[in-house]
Amino acid sequence: MESFFPGQARVLALWEIVSVVTSCLIVEWVVLSFAGGSKLISAIPILLAWGLMAFSYRERGETLYEIGFRTDNFLASCRLLLLPTAAAVLVIVATGWFMNHSIFAGHFRARYFSLPIWALFQQYALNGFINRRAQLALGKGLKSIALVAVVFALLHLPNPLLAAVTFIGGLICAAVYQRQPNLFALALSHTVVSLTLAVTISPNLLNSLRVGFKYFG
Amino acid sequence: MKTPSTSLINVLIGKSILEVLLVGALAVFTFISILPPYFHGWGEVTNTGISGWVVNDAAPWDRVEVQLFIDGDFVASRVANESRRDVVTAGWSKDEWHGYTFPVISLSAGLHEARVYALHAGGNGTRKTLQLVGDPISFSVAANGKPSAHGALISNPYGSRN
Repeated sequence: MESFFPGQARVLALWEIVSVVTSCLIVEWVVLSFAGGSKLISAIPILLAWGLMAFSYRERGETLYEIGFRTDNFLASCRLLLLPTAAAVLVIVATGWFMNHSIFAGHFRARYFSLPIWALFQQYALNGFINRRAQLALGKGLKSIALVAVVFALLHLPNPLLAAVTFIGGLICAAVYQRQPNLFALALSHTVVSLTLAVTISPNLLNSLRVGFKYFG
Repeated sequence: MKTPSTSLINVLIGKSILEVLLVGALAVFTFISILPPYFHGWGEVTNTGISGWVVNDAAPWDRVEVQLFIDGDFVASRVANESRRDVVTAGWSKDEWHGYTFPVISLSAGLHEARVYALHAGGNGTRKTLQLVGDPISFSVAANGKPSAHGALISNPYGSRN
């Protein structure tokens, strides 16, 4: 079979999403609980997922430019993200003020310097791959945007606050990506919101942004 | 966007198989490291208490720490390092120093059940697990406080692989 019927193509795209999400869940839940978070073992499902994504891009003839590694629509994407990002920062700061009676009370850690890279990697997987496959399966619009948000929240369970925040963030990022696919702008917004969360909200409430099995440890 | 070839399906299936193998291997490795299948031994009722032996096949010269639970409650802990020449003769250990004895005192008259567990430390001491050695031991305590075997017991004192 060299080509697919429309129904089969949709199932294939959904299967790709499930496969990548499964790899992430294996790292978060299985490797952390069984192998104590061994980086070497974590690398296996990560490399498998990355390999699948690379192969899928090649099979479908998608370029880095199409995926969103581009600069021509950076400002257009930033314009779309400006208002929701500013609103998110304000809500987080207000929540921090209400809870701690101070702003930016949390400690800044050296690992926050790697946040932009980590945010870009997450946006690449979430929007550069999952959003694109969700659009293939469900078309552009609410259904595919909702699927991306659910996946993003699922990967942040069982941290309830983070899951809620990422669900909302996932909706916004997916909607923006479908209008202006630019991963750099999304990573910038992601970094600003994550950093604000980390230094504003009490680590106890967010459990230090821990997800998966690590949430309990 | 091009339509993908069927190779993509093959890659998806291959990836799934590899992940199943990875998760399965991790599960088996974890089970073996937390509850290693190397302990075996046996316990029985004597006139003074619960006696038996336990050997760690992975480290046959080591003395195993054992814990006694009666009716589900922890009673005592000790290292199995008493002489049991019969265990060497039966071929279960390389030396005789694998026996243990727990005196049974202060138990009410009637039926009781004892379980002896081998203690295993793993993860550089971050976790400890207990494994039942032999079978649960049913015994009764008379009004004078002397324990005695209850029902069919000690059918094969060297027969356990647990």
